[in-house]
Amino acid sequence: MLLDSAPTGREPDRHSRVSTLLELRDLSLGYGSTQVLNSLNLTVGDGEIVALLGPSGSGKSTLLNAVAGFLPIHSGEILLAGRNIATPRKAEPPERRDIAFVFQDYGLWPHLTALDTVAYPLRRRGVRRGRARDQARDILDRLGIGALADRKPAQLSGGEQQRVGLARAMAREAAVYLFDEPTAHLDAPLRDLFLAELAARRRESGAAAIYATHDAAEALGLADRVALLIGGRVIQNGSPQQLYSEPVSVEAARLTGPASLLNGTQSRILVRPDWVRLGGDRTGVVVDVWFRGSYTDYVLRTSEGELLVRTAAPPAHERGEQVRWSLDRCWPLPNTEAACD
Amino acid sequence: MGRGRRRIIWLAALLQLWLLTACGGSNPSSAQSITLYTCVNDTTIQPVLAQYQGTHPGTKVELFRAPTGQLNARVASDIRAGGLKADVIWACDPLTMQDYVTQGLVGGWTPETEIPATVRTPDYVGIAMLYLVAITHQGVKAPTSWSDLASAGKVAVPDPNLAASALGALGFFGPKFYADLKEHGAVQVGTPDDVTTGVAQGTYDAGITIANSAYAAQKKGSPITITWPKPGAVAIYGPVAISKTTKNAQAAQDFISYVTSRDGQTVIGSAGSYPTLPDVAGPEKPKGAPVVYPDWNAVTSHKAALLEDYAKIFGG
Amino acid sequence: MRSGRAWVGAAFGLALASAAVLVLIPLAVLIRTSWVEGRGHLADVVSSPGFGSAVVHSFELSTAATLLAVPVGVAIALALRDPGLPGRAFWRVAVLLPVLVPDFVLGYSWLMAYARAGLTSELFGFAWLQIQGPVGVSVIVAANAVPLVYLIITVGLATRAEPTTERAARTSGAGPATVLWTITLPLLAPAIATAAVLVFVLSMGTFAIPQVVGAPAGFATITTHIYADLALGSNPQGFVEAITLALLLIVITLIVVAPTEKVLGGRLRIGRAAARDTDWPSSGRITRVIVTTALGLYLMITSGLPLLALLSASITRAIGVPSTPDNWTTDNFLTVLTPRTGYALGRSLLLALAAASILIVLGSLAAALGRTPGGRSLSVLITLTLVLPGSTLAIGLLIGYGRWLADTVVIILIAYLAKLWALAHRPMSAAVDRLPPASLHAARVSGAGMPTALATVVVPLLRPALIAAWGLCFLTALHEVTMSSLLYGPGSETLAVVVLNSADLGNVGATAALSVLVTAIVVLPGAALWVLTRPHAPRLSTHRPRA
Repeated sequence: MLLDSAPTGREPDRHSRVSTLLELRDLSLGYGSTQVLNSLNLTVGDGEIVALLGPSGSGKSTLLNAVAGFLPIHSGEILLAGRNIATPRKAEPPERRDIAFVFQDYGLWPHLTALDTVAYPLRRRGVRRGRARDQARDILDRLGIGALADRKPAQLSGGEQQRVGLARAMAREAAVYLFDEPTAHLDAPLRDLFLAELAARRRESGAAAIYATHDAAEALGLADRVALLIGGRVIQNGSPQQLYSEPVSVEAARLTGPASLLNGTQSRILVRPDWVRLGGDRTGVVVDVWFRGSYTDYVLRTSEGELLVRTAAPPAHERGEQVRWSLDRCWPLPNTEAACD
Repeated sequence: MGRGRRRIIWLAALLQLWLLTACGGSNPSSAQSITLYTCVNDTTIQPVLAQYQGTHPGTKVELFRAPTGQLNARVASDIRAGGLKADVIWACDPLTMQDYVTQGLVGGWTPETEIPATVRTPDYVGIAMLYLVAITHQGVKAPTSWSDLASAGKVAVPDPNLAASALGALGFFGPKFYADLKEHGAVQVGTPDDVTTGVAQGTYDAGITIANSAYAAQKKGSPITITWPKPGAVAIYGPVAISKTTKNAQAAQDFISYVTSRDGQTVIGSAGSYPTLPDVAGPEKPKGAPVVYPDWNAVTSHKAALLEDYAKIFGG
Repeated sequence: MRSGRAWVGAAFGLALASAAVLVLIPLAVLIRTSWVEGRGHLADVVSSPGFGSAVVHSFELSTAATLLAVPVGVAIALALRDPGLPGRAFWRVAVLLPVLVPDFVLGYSWLMAYARAGLTSELFGFAWLQIQGPVGVSVIVAANAVPLVYLIITVGLATRAEPTTERAARTSGAGPATVLWTITLPLLAPAIATAAVLVFVLSMGTFAIPQVVGAPAGFATITTHIYADLALGSNPQGFVEAITLALLLIVITLIVVAPTEKVLGGRLRIGRAAARDTDWPSSGRITRVIVTTALGLYLMITSGLPLLALLSASITRAIGVPSTPDNWTTDNFLTVLTPRTGYALGRSLLLALAAASILIVLGSLAAALGRTPGGRSLSVLITLTLVLPGSTLAIGLLIGYGRWLADTVVIILIAYLAKLWALAHRPMSAAVDRLPPASLHAARVSGAGMPTALATVVVPLLRPALIAAWGLCFLTALHEVTMSSLLYGPGSETLAVVVLNSADLGNVGATAALSVLVTAIVVLPGAALWVLTRPHAPRLSTHRPRA
């Protein structure tokens, strides 16, 4: 079991002084005989975005559902702003937790218009109908979908629905926002739009968030901190750079970005595509060339294994060609004190 | 879905098809078969048919048996769909039969018989009797005359809208009798059998019902007492008649002759109905028990008025 | 591969042909008879004594039964969503018990349980004296409509009210009660409306219960009035009057049903997969205790005691003797277990099987066509034969088809199809919206002809609704007495005839024995099947949730 400190033993600098807003302590949770979360520990500081990165089946949704109050927990506890909101014996109902949720499948209500959907949390807070609708309209405008106020979900596209879902969460004005893979059903441009809005909102309100995703690029780009969830446990927790440069295991390495694993003398060696340079004293044969527009990927076969090289230049080598390469940096796995070659 | 289950379902489907194709259609009335419509209860009709077909091999009697209401519906539907299919009708009360005669459906021939003239007309002959008697639940004082019934407690009466026997009783007693009963808290149920069940159960204290049903229940052990109150049990007879459009006149006449003969009446008597032929053994009837006979003609002509008055007493 | 439009046309054609044979022709026959023969007497019919009060009573009964049955059915459906409710699998089956008790013994079993000198009187010393009257009739009719409502709502829940929508509401600040009121019930509105209409219509046409439980208190309904008319209907006037009354019943029902159908026209399309059982919210422990106790009490009162009374009657020597071991006998069963009963029962079972199977096809057809304007008229049309009292429908079929089909099994089958079409249609219509049109297109584009596509894509999704509709139709057809006893002939004797024979003799014990027999024949194989198929129970219990 790994505690939520990075393998190098340091908390990320930027937020080492923030107060803890949400804390999950030794959280265990399962269905029937299946254990999904195993003595999990995680903290989210004030104004922090923590990305929850993990493959399908790792427990991301379960964790979010437990924090939201949709699932009972078997052992451990959840604390929000220092207060206990969930233990195995007693759990606060979802409506009383200071939490907002953005669902993967949007979770919109088929019988309500976008406006009424966003006004719903306001009404629950006791805001009168007219005022609630005005405030809801404001929120929709801020997200650029004011024109869709009178439409029902059946008349909205996926991206529009997701933004309505986000607007609804914003109307809640909660302390912590939970995002359950919200861009899973969105195409790339929509996804970027969504993430941009998210970032903008975050700058405005400074609320904390847990953002669950299986997409490494999304996690690394968005988060202040990334928690890697595998098999119901947080196996690594640190800044995006830490997770990218110093993953704690082979699995972690694969999850956090494109990874090549070479056979070293004592252990395997992680090489990221941007850690390799063409030209140098080592040789390899080009097996594949991928032109990606702004960069080119080469797959090399070397004596130590297969290697992915990324260059900013257009393709300059062909399949079957022998090329030279050298390492700028590397990272041994599993992490030992051994230097890497 | 397992393969075994699928096979069973296919088998069931095939069976259904076979059944539907194989068991459809009735035999058209041949010279050797007649169709009988009746509302007489099953325990009476089955022995009669068995005995008849035993002594008349080669003649088949196709039976349609249903309560009077459905019998009426069947007859009426037949007429409007090509004609009455029955060769013989055995009704459960004279009113119904008279209506059939008036519509020209049945009648015109009756056999030679010793059955008394009180229960026959030129068109039909009564072959089974019903008696309306009084029953009381164990422990309730049995009425010696009909006028005592009102003070017996919670009384149940059968609906004259449903049972011709009750209608006959209404015709005989007149509405005032029932008004009196209602004042003492009487309740109207459905058929005479409902009365028997209710009184036997104890839901009601006393009631008016048919003797057969009362004795049958008593024999089984139901705690009821049966009385034939003065001036007499109300008698209703069930007549048999031949269809005017029968294509098997001879066979139909044979059947009617049989059920009016001593042999036929004996079978009816032993099957649990009261025979109309004198000196034939029948179900239990106390010695010297009084019997009264309603004037059916009067009942027929005043039917609407009677029911209207009755409705005012016991509601729709 | 035929185009989609050709298939829709074929479907419409089939529906139209079926409607013509099953509904339009019998109705036309009845209307013609009433018009030609009774035209001058309509005023007499309407002003006859008791007619006005019968109409009022029918309305009162139907309204009361609907207002009672729908909330209870909805409550039970919602309560049984909780995946952790103790004994949940049992409750889900037990709720359906009333459907197992045949109509012809229903009234009696309640009377034997609760009336003066009944079971409760024997066991606990009190009886429900007011049972005979409007209140009793309404309660019994409602109690027997609840399983229907429950089934329709459960299908609706699986289609419309998904867990995510409820979670979204909770996390937006709504407590459980608010969620119910603002989200769950509005989403269930179409299903609730469909169920309510069905209960209302069935109550308008119900006969056996008012006859047995209501008549003694002078509570007559249109159906009992019609029955009385036929009982003394040996003359043409009585006969025509009965038919006219039945047609009036239809008109009244039409006035109520047609606008409701229009309102239901707007539907909410959701094309996602069914909600998983484990996604529904679990209630707290106290709630569970209350729910379980309430369910237990409810089932004991509405099903347990009447069934017990029925069982007791079937083994007791005679009516009125106390049900103690020395009065127990197998005589009633022996009387009933004759070869004749065997044949009749076998015929009834096969007829019911055939009818139910054909009915789910017809019901699905009507449900699939439901959203088109023609489809809406169709669904109103088939409701008419559901309301029409069995005797009158049988008369219409006899007059219309008697010349060729009298005394055959076929005419009885037609009668079942005509009467129960609407019963199969309603549960299906609550489920059909769940079909994502894309999946059907995907199957066709992958090379499946329409029949294959239907079988492999549509049927699996609709399976719960299909099973529910099939079961309902099967049991109703099996227990049907009025039409079968009017339409039968030698060689097509069904259970109905045997029942009426024993009922006519006032032999409640034998009738009770018969219904116990019929119930056993249905329940035992059903239970065996259920037990055997448990390992194959898909999806619902141990599915691993997505992480």
